[in-house]
Amino acid sequence: MSEHSVTRGHGADVEVRAVTKRFGPVAAVDDVSLTVRGGEFFSLLGPSGCGKTTTLRVIGGFERTDAGEVFIDGRPMGQTPPNRRPTNIVFQRLALFPHYTVYDNVAFGLRMQRLPDAEVRRRTRDALDLVQLPGLENRRISQLSGGQQQRVALARALVNEPRVLLLDEPLSALDLKLRLQMQEELKRLQHRLGTTFIYVTHDQGEALAMSDRVGVMNAGRLLQVGAPMEIYERPTNRFVANFIGDANLIDGIAGGVERGRVTVRVGGGVVGARARGDEHAGAPVTVCVRPERLRLHASGGPPGALRARIEDRAFSGYVIKYRLAGDGLRLHAAVPYVGGAPLFEVGDEVTVAWDPDQAVSVGRE
Amino acid sequence: MKLRGPVILALMAPALALMAVLYVVPLGVYFINSFHEFRDGRILPAWTLQTYVRYFTDPFSYRVIGTSLRLSFVVTALAVLIGYPVAYALHTRVHRPAARAAIALLLFSPLLVSVVVRTYGWLILLASQGLVNTTLRGLGLIQEPISLLFNMRGVVISLTHILLPFAIFPIYSVMDRLDLSLKEAARDLGAGWRETFLHVTLPLTMPGIVAGALICFTLALSAFVTPQLLGGGRVQVLPLAVYNSTVEINWPGGAVAGLTLLVISIAAVWALNALLRRLPTV
Ligand SMILES: Nc1ncnc2c1ncn2[C@@H]1O[C@H](COP(=O)(O)OP(=O)(O)OP(=O)(O)O)[C@@H](O)[C@H]1O
Ligand SMILES: [Mg+2]
Repeated sequence: MSEHSVTRGHGADVEVRAVTKRFGPVAAVDDVSLTVRGGEFFSLLGPSGCGKTTTLRVIGGFERTDAGEVFIDGRPMGQTPPNRRPTNIVFQRLALFPHYTVYDNVAFGLRMQRLPDAEVRRRTRDALDLVQLPGLENRRISQLSGGQQQRVALARALVNEPRVLLLDEPLSALDLKLRLQMQEELKRLQHRLGTTFIYVTHDQGEALAMSDRVGVMNAGRLLQVGAPMEIYERPTNRFVANFIGDANLIDGIAGGVERGRVTVRVGGGVVGARARGDEHAGAPVTVCVRPERLRLHASGGPPGALRARIEDRAFSGYVIKYRLAGDGLRLHAAVPYVGGAPLFEVGDEVTVAWDPDQAVSVGRE
Repeated sequence: MKLRGPVILALMAPALALMAVLYVVPLGVYFINSFHEFRDGRILPAWTLQTYVRYFTDPFSYRVIGTSLRLSFVVTALAVLIGYPVAYALHTRVHRPAARAAIALLLFSPLLVSVVVRTYGWLILLASQGLVNTTLRGLGLIQEPISLLFNMRGVVISLTHILLPFAIFPIYSVMDRLDLSLKEAARDLGAGWRETFLHVTLPLTMPGIVAGALICFTLALSAFVTPQLLGGGRVQVLPLAVYNSTVEINWPGGAVAGLTLLVISIAAVWALNALLRRLPTV
C-alpha cells in the first residue's frame, strides 16, 4: 500500500509439522503437515467442518496444539501469542470491534505499532480505498451490510502488511461482481507485497483460479497438496477427485499394470487409466475421468469400450451435458457445443471411451 | 400464543396492586404531608410551603445530603473497583459451571444473613480490640488502633461488603456475553493483554459497570441500618433524617427529606441510564 512497504511485507515461510488439534473426542486437525513457501498463494479447500478454520487458527496462534509444531521462517512458534507472530488473520466470523468506527477498526493494528498519526491516516485510507469502502470511515460496524463488514475485516488485516496473511473465507458475503474484483485486488496486492497468503475458501473456482497451490482437506486430514491443475488432473484419491470439479468415478478390477498405465475391467468392458502405483492385478480400483474427457460414439469405438444409453440431455451454452447409464454404470459427459454437429437423442445407444492418459486410477477408499 | 390486552392486565394485576398499596399510596401521603407544617409538637392542617423553605434554608440539611452523596459515591466506587477484578477473574479463570455456581453462592452469602446480625459482626471485627485492628498491629502496620467504628470508615467498609455482589453480578453477566473473538482480534492486531483489556474488554463491559454502579448507588443512598448501627450517630444520612423526623411525629419534615432522597435517586438513575444508552451494545 505504501511506497516503502515492499521490504516490510515480504512473505515468510510457514511450516505446519504433524499438527493435531482435538476438541474433546473430535480431531479437528489430524496429523497435518504442510509447507507454504514465502510469497506463495496457498488455498485450503474442503467441506464444512473439515478443519480449515482450526488449521488457520493454529498457525495464527489461537489454538494450542495437542501434537506437532508450527514454524514461521524456520522458527518454532511454540506458545508464541498472536500479537508476537508476523501473521494477521481475517476471521471467518469477522470479529470487528462494535465500539469502534470503521476507521478505528482498520487503524487498530497500526496504532498498536505506535506508528506516527500521518502514516496511520494514510495507510488506513489506502486500505479502505482498496476494499472500496471510502466515505464510510465514521460509520459504526452495526450500520454496515454484511459484505461491507467483511471488507472492513479484510482491510483491518491487510493494512498491517503482515508477512503472512491468513484469510478465512474473506469474500464469502460479497456478490459475484465484487467478489471477482476483490479477488483481483487481493492477487495484485499479494504479488506486489510478496505476502504469503493462506486462504480458506468454499469456492473451488476461486481457489483454483487464484492459488499457486491448493490443499484439500477432509475430516481433519490433509489429503492432497498440489498446483490447481495437478489436483484436477491427478487426484490421488476418491475424495479429492469428487470434491474438485466434476468426476466420473468408475469402480472396477485391475488387470495389468504396464508403463504407468493400468487396465481395468468394468462390467462388460475394459478401460485404461494412468496408474497410481499401488495397483496389482485382481485388486479393486476406481478410475476417475472428467466429464469433458469422455468420447461418445454412435457405434464402434475402440475395443473394450463401454456401452451406455443416453438418459438425459441438457444444453448449457458452450457445452451439452449428457447423463448416461449402462453396464451398471452412471456417467456424465460434457461435449463442447459447436453448433451444427449432430446431437445424441435421449434413448440413443452409444459407446463411451476415453484416452487412458486422460483418466487416473484413484484407489478405492 | 399471543397475549391480548385484558389478559396482560390480569397477569399484571397483583403486581400493580402491590405497587399501588406499597408505593403510590405512601408516596401520596408523603406528598400531602410535605405541604403541611409541624409546629409545637403537632401537624398544622393548613397548606403551606413553609416546611420546604425551612428545610432548604437549613445548612444542616445540606450537610446531611452531602454526607449521603459522599457515602454513596465512595461505596459505589469501592464496590466497582473491587468487584470488577473479581468478575474478571471469575470470567477468565473459572469455567466449570459447578465452580461458577459455588462461587456465586459464596459471593451472595452475606445477603443470606440478616442485616442486623451482619452489622453486629462488623461491630466485633472493627472494634479497637477487634480482629482487624489486632491483625494490623500484629503485622506491625500500625502502632495505635485506628478507629473504624462510629464514623464514616466503618459504615463505608460494611456497606461496600454488603453491596459487592450487586456490583459483581451485572459486570460478570456482561463479561459473560462478551464475544471472545474480539479479544483474539485485538491480540492478532498486535495488542498485548493490557492493551486488549484497555481497548476492548473494559469499554465493552462498561454497561455492566454502569448497571452495577446504579444498583450500588441507589442502595447505598437508601441504606439505613448500617449507618444507624455503625455510624454511632456521627454519620447523618438522609434515611436517618427521615427516620428521626418520623419518630418525632414530624411527618412534614420527614416527608420533605424523604422526597429529597427520592429526587436524588431518580436523578442518579436518570444520569446513569443516559450514560448507558450512549454506550455501545455488545
Ligand atoms: N471451539 C471448538 N470446540 C469444539 N469443537 C470445535 C471447536 N472449533 C471447531 N470445532 C470442531 O472442529 C471441527 C473443524 O472445525 P473448523 O471450524 O475448523 O471447520 P471448517 O473447515 O472451518 O468448517 P467451515 O467450512 O464450516 O467453516 C468441526 O467438527 C467443529 O465442530
Ligand atoms: Mg471455517
